[in-house]
Amino acid sequence: MKDSDAPSNATVLASVRRVCFSRRTIATVEAYLFLLPFLIAFGLFLVYPFIKNFWISLHDWDLLAVAFNPDAKEFVGMKNYVRTLWGRRMTWDITHLWHIKSVLAIGCLILWFATLRGSARLGTAVFWTVVAVTLVVVLGFHPGERGRWYDKEFWNAVRNTFVFVALAIPPIMVISLTLAVLLNRPTRTMAVFRTLFYLPQVLSVAVITLVWWYMLTPGQGLLANVMRLFDLTPFSWTTDPILAMWAIVIATVWWTIGFPMIVLLAGLQEIPKDRYEAARLDGAGPIALTWHITIPGLKRPLVFVFLYEVISHFQVFGQSHLLTGGGPGDATQTFVRYLYQTGFRDNELGRGAAMSVLLFLVMAIFSFLYLKFSTQRRTS
Amino acid sequence: MSNIGYKPLYWLSVAFLTLFAIIWCLPLIFMVSLSFQSDENLIVSTAHFALGLLPWPFTPENYVSLLGFDETPRWFLNSFIVSVVSTLTVLVISASAGYAFARIDFAGRRFVFAFVLAGMMIPGEGVFISLYTMFADWQAHSTYFSLIAPNLSLPVGTILLTQFFRGISREIEEAAEIDGANRWVIFTRIMLPMSIPALTTLAIITFLWSWNSYLWPLVTAQEREMYTITVGLGSTQQGYTEENTGRIMAQGMIASFPVVFLYLFLQRYLIRGIVVQSK
Repeated sequence: MKDSDAPSNATVLASVRRVCFSRRTIATVEAYLFLLPFLIAFGLFLVYPFIKNFWISLHDWDLLAVAFNPDAKEFVGMKNYVRTLWGRRMTWDITHLWHIKSVLAIGCLILWFATLRGSARLGTAVFWTVVAVTLVVVLGFHPGERGRWYDKEFWNAVRNTFVFVALAIPPIMVISLTLAVLLNRPTRTMAVFRTLFYLPQVLSVAVITLVWWYMLTPGQGLLANVMRLFDLTPFSWTTDPILAMWAIVIATVWWTIGFPMIVLLAGLQEIPKDRYEAARLDGAGPIALTWHITIPGLKRPLVFVFLYEVISHFQVFGQSHLLTGGGPGDATQTFVRYLYQTGFRDNELGRGAAMSVLLFLVMAIFSFLYLKFSTQRRTS
Repeated sequence: MSNIGYKPLYWLSVAFLTLFAIIWCLPLIFMVSLSFQSDENLIVSTAHFALGLLPWPFTPENYVSLLGFDETPRWFLNSFIVSVVSTLTVLVISASAGYAFARIDFAGRRFVFAFVLAGMMIPGEGVFISLYTMFADWQAHSTYFSLIAPNLSLPVGTILLTQFFRGISREIEEAAEIDGANRWVIFTRIMLPMSIPALTTLAIITFLWSWNSYLWPLVTAQEREMYTITVGLGSTQQGYTEENTGRIMAQGMIASFPVVFLYLFLQRYLIRGIVVQSK
C-alpha cells in the first residue's frame, strides 16, 4: 500500500534526469566552464587579496619578522587604524578647517536652490547634504592643546594628494574640452592633431617623469636653456615646495589629457547636427552655440571624465616617487607613496594594509558614483 | 562643434592647434634629441644646437652601448614576455567569460556579473600589500608568474567583451545551432572571428597596461635581472647623475618604442575602446 503512494524508481530516475540534464542545467555547467579561467584569476588575485588585506590590517605585521617566522604577527584589532587616523588629546570644534566647511556649505546651498527650482532631484540633495554634514562632523576633530596626531606624515600625505587632485583636474578638464571642441571636424589634419595630443598617454610613468625632469631641471633643462637665452636665472623647483608640486601637476596634465579628450570628442559627435542648424537659423554665433548646445549636450561625458580623473589621480604614485622623491621635505608626498613606504621601507605591512583599506573607502565613494553613472547610461 | 559655415574660424583653430601641438611636442623632441648626443657633450651643456632641440653633434652611441652590454636588453625582454603573455591570456579568459555572460542563460548569471562589476571598484593599490604576502608565501617573487598573474585579474576585459558580444546579432548562431553546432564550435568558429576588432581593442589596452604598470612590478621584482623596463628606467632615474643624460634618455626611448609603435598602428582600436568604456 505504501509503495503505491511513493513514486516508483523509474519516475524518480526520470525526474532526476529531467533536472540534471535539462537544457538549463547543462547550460549552467557549460557557462561555468567558460567562466572558470577568468573567475580563478579574478578570485585569486583580486577578491582574495582584497579580503586578506582587511585581515592583515588587524595585525601588527612586520614584513621581515613574518618572512622569517610566519607566527611573528600579532592580532591588535583596530590599533593600526587608530594609529593612522587618531591622535593624543583630541578635541572637536566646528570652526576647525572652516574654509573647507564653508565650501561644503555653499555647495549644499546651491544644490538646495537647484532642487527648489526643479533642476535637481530631492533624493540627490538629501544624499549630498548627509555626506556634507558627516564630513563637517569628521573634519571637526583635531589635536587639542599639547596634543598631536599619532601619524602626522599620513595627514600631510592626504592633504598633498587632495591638493594635487584639485590642481591637476581643472586644467585637464579645460584643456581637453577645448581641444575636443576644436578637433571636432572630420578632416585629416584634425586626425593628425588628435594622434599627437593622445601620444603622451601611452608612455609609462617612468618615461614621463624622465622627460619632465629634463624639461625643468635648472642645470640641463630645456626651460633653463630658454631662460638663459633671456639672461634669467632658471627656477630651482626641486628646493621649492610649491614649485615641486606644480612640477608633478604639469607633468601629469601633459601626460593625461588624451583620455578625456577622446571621451569628450566622442560625446560631441553624438550631439545631433540639426540642433546647431536650428540655432544658427535663429542667429546664434559660435560662442552662443558652444555655451547653449555643446556644453549642455556634453553633461554626461563631462561627469564621467571628472569621476574617472578623480579616481585615477587620487592614486598618484609614480610622478611623486620618481620626479620629486616626495620632496622637498614631504611637500609632494602622496597617499599611495606613503602607503608604499610604510609597507616596504618601514616594513609595517599591518599599517600599510590599514591605509589600503582607507584608500579603498575613499575610492569606493567615487567608484560607486562612477558605476552607478555608467550603468545608468548603459540601460537608458 | 560643426561650424561648417565658418571657414575663417576653421583656419583660426588650425593655427591655434598647431601652436599648441608644437608646445605639446617639445618635451618629446627634447628627449629624442638628447638621446642622440654623447654624454661628454651633454655634461658641458644640453644646448649645443637650437636650445638642444636638434641632436647635433649627432651620435647613436648611447643606443649601441645600451643594447650591447647593459641590463636594458634583459629588462626589455622581461617587459616583452610579461606583456605578451598577459595580453594573450587576458584575451582567452575574457573572451570565454564574456561569451558565457552574453550568450548563455545560466543560474546565477546576474549575481556573478554584478560581482565582477563590483570588482571594478577595487583599486590596484588596495591589494598590493596582501598580494606581496601571498607571493612571499609561495616564494614566487621575482618570477614571470608574479609579474604576470595580477594582470589577469582585472574585470575590464570581461566586461568589455560581454558588452561587445551582446551587440552581435544572434542570427548566425541560431542558424549554426539548427545545423547542430555545440557551444564550443559556435564560440570558436563564429563568435571569435566576428569579434576580431573588439579583441584587438582589448589586446592593445592590456598590452599598454602591462608594459606601463609600475607599482606592482616595483614591489615584486626584487632582483635586478627580473626588472621590467619601466621599473629599470625608474631605478636608473633614482641613481641619476648629470654624467649620463644621453644614455638615460636613450633608455627612455627604448622603453617607449613598442607602445608608441603599437599606438600609431592600432590607435583606431584603442580609441574605440576608450569610447566604449565611457558609455
